[in-house]
Amino acid sequence: MNDRNLLKGLFLAAVAVIFGLGAFRYDIGRVERAGPGFFPLMVSSLLLLLGLGMAVRSRFMKPQAMYFNVKNIAIILGSLAGFAAFSHYVNMISGIVFLVFASTLAGTSYSIRRNAIISAVLVAIAFVFQRGLGLQLPLY
Amino acid sequence: MMEIIHNLAFGFGHALTLHNLMFCAIGCVVGTFVGLLPGLGPLATISLLLPLTFSIDTGGALIMLAGIYYGAQYGDSVSAITMKIPHASSIVACIDGYQMTLKGKTGLALFTAGVSSFIGGTVAIVVLAALAPALGEVALKFGPADYTALMLFGFVCVSFVTTGSLLDGLAMCMVGVLLGQIGTDVNSGVARYTLGLPFLMDGVGLVSVALGCFGIAEITKNLDNREERTPFSGKIKLMPTWPEFKRIIPSALRGSVVGSFLGILPGGGPVIAQFAAYAIDRKVSKYRHEIGTGAIEGVAGQAAADEAAARTSFIPLMSIGIPENAVMALMMGAFIIKGIQPGPNMIAAHPDLFWGLVASMWIGNCFLLILNVPMVRYLLSIFKIPYVVLFPAILFFCCVGTYSVNNSLEDVFVTAAFGLMGYVMLRLSLDPAPLMLGFILGPMLEENFRRSLLLSRGSFTVFVTRPISGTLIALIAIFVLWQMSVFVRDVRKARQVAPA
Repeated sequence: MNDRNLLKGLFLAAVAVIFGLGAFRYDIGRVERAGPGFFPLMVSSLLLLLGLGMAVRSRFMKPQAMYFNVKNIAIILGSLAGFAAFSHYVNMISGIVFLVFASTLAGTSYSIRRNAIISAVLVAIAFVFQRGLGLQLPLY
Repeated sequence: MMEIIHNLAFGFGHALTLHNLMFCAIGCVVGTFVGLLPGLGPLATISLLLPLTFSIDTGGALIMLAGIYYGAQYGDSVSAITMKIPHASSIVACIDGYQMTLKGKTGLALFTAGVSSFIGGTVAIVVLAALAPALGEVALKFGPADYTALMLFGFVCVSFVTTGSLLDGLAMCMVGVLLGQIGTDVNSGVARYTLGLPFLMDGVGLVSVALGCFGIAEITKNLDNREERTPFSGKIKLMPTWPEFKRIIPSALRGSVVGSFLGILPGGGPVIAQFAAYAIDRKVSKYRHEIGTGAIEGVAGQAAADEAAARTSFIPLMSIGIPENAVMALMMGAFIIKGIQPGPNMIAAHPDLFWGLVASMWIGNCFLLILNVPMVRYLLSIFKIPYVVLFPAILFFCCVGTYSVNNSLEDVFVTAAFGLMGYVMLRLSLDPAPLMLGFILGPMLEENFRRSLLLSRGSFTVFVTRPISGTLIALIAIFVLWQMSVFVRDVRKARQVAPA
């Protein structure tokens, strides 16, 4: 089952199905007076055909294994979500510190001292952005 | 001819104010610097730095954005020459450039690239100044059906050029178009695909999509590779000897012409221009037997074409209003955020912005030359920073960048979601660049498509009967049929080899 070409077709078909089914919730209209659902339905139908075509084609091709590193992408997404959560409930400085300490778990080596330095530098840069460029960062 | 000179003089009048000079310089420096970083091509660089321009006035912001773009393009080729870090945007620079580094001629390669880029950029600006207004007048005759056909043609060209597989690319364009559907429908006011979330009413943010697909996804991919590069630490000698210098010029001029031309075509732009210039040098250069082993010509031609195409690719965007590749689509999004709709009316309505931008490109050229020729050795110190320090910093900039667009933390979650999607796509070997184009052109495509059908009372023949759209549709049909036949042949061949 771990065939990149097959998964590619299925992925595209899945996107098409999600948007295509969603399009029925809106007025489709007629060709000369298209409703809001017309265009997405048309595009997703085409995409569905393409995706299924690729999935079918993959059955005739040599399977290529797909590489997927769940750990790294999970760490990165988790640290982004944590940044947003900390920034919302506490303040952005804590968000930045969390981002650095969490995301570096995906790196080749881990050092608390190095992370502390990185966090300090980034917080300083954030202050420069806030004061110098007028970005509204809720730092504290 | 006099008119061009007059217009350029007018433009320099705007670009040479202290204010705009400063923004141009900042754009070039920051763009080059971020472009040097591993894993960040022009798309990620521009979206990362876009928020910096929010608090600047429109003219300055456009000048700075353009500077970021060609700075990033240049920084990319520097990292390709010294470190062989190939981004999609500077693969060719890796060939001879890196060979020269291996021979200990890094300085010469960088000097060649710098000077050639300057020549390429200068030629391209003349082309830009001459062609954009003329093309703008033609574009005023375009109807909605023509625009629809033109956008579809652009999708086909970009899909083919960037991914090499038309069907993969077209599929990505469609995914992008569908993502562009999220938000309020302009015609009916219906909120589509918002999942009831109020912050999706205005659609998904451009910066979120770009940073997710190109920033977050690329970082994660680099982390998967887990290779620490040894930092570049060689000494570099910059100045060439006179005979070496003489070899740069013909090749750079050839590259400039090729690049200027290929930069204008749909689907064109720096990448394809580099390949073409390199191929031509291999055919006609006096030193063609040396190319591939670290020849000056192998660097000069492609570097000139690279910078020339980076500038002439503004022509379709600013005269017709249709971006020809993903980077230009992002620029268009940035223009719109600043309240400027690029297109035939831009030159007429905002001549100061347009000509100021064109003139600033030449000034940017000079900055790049100063920045890259005498100061390149200091720039290279950025490679001494290990990736484990760099990537949390890049993530931080991604967060701050997406947050500052609307001062909303929800956007950070949206970016994370697109990061996941981008990572999945990278692992499925789907190139996200056509997605970007589809995403930005999607709403425009829908509007023009619906309007054409409204005007023709529901008859699809309108796309075929008008001369401009008819020609474009015919070209698309030929292209798609050709690719379909390749597809079918592949399946047949595979079937013969291994019966299912």
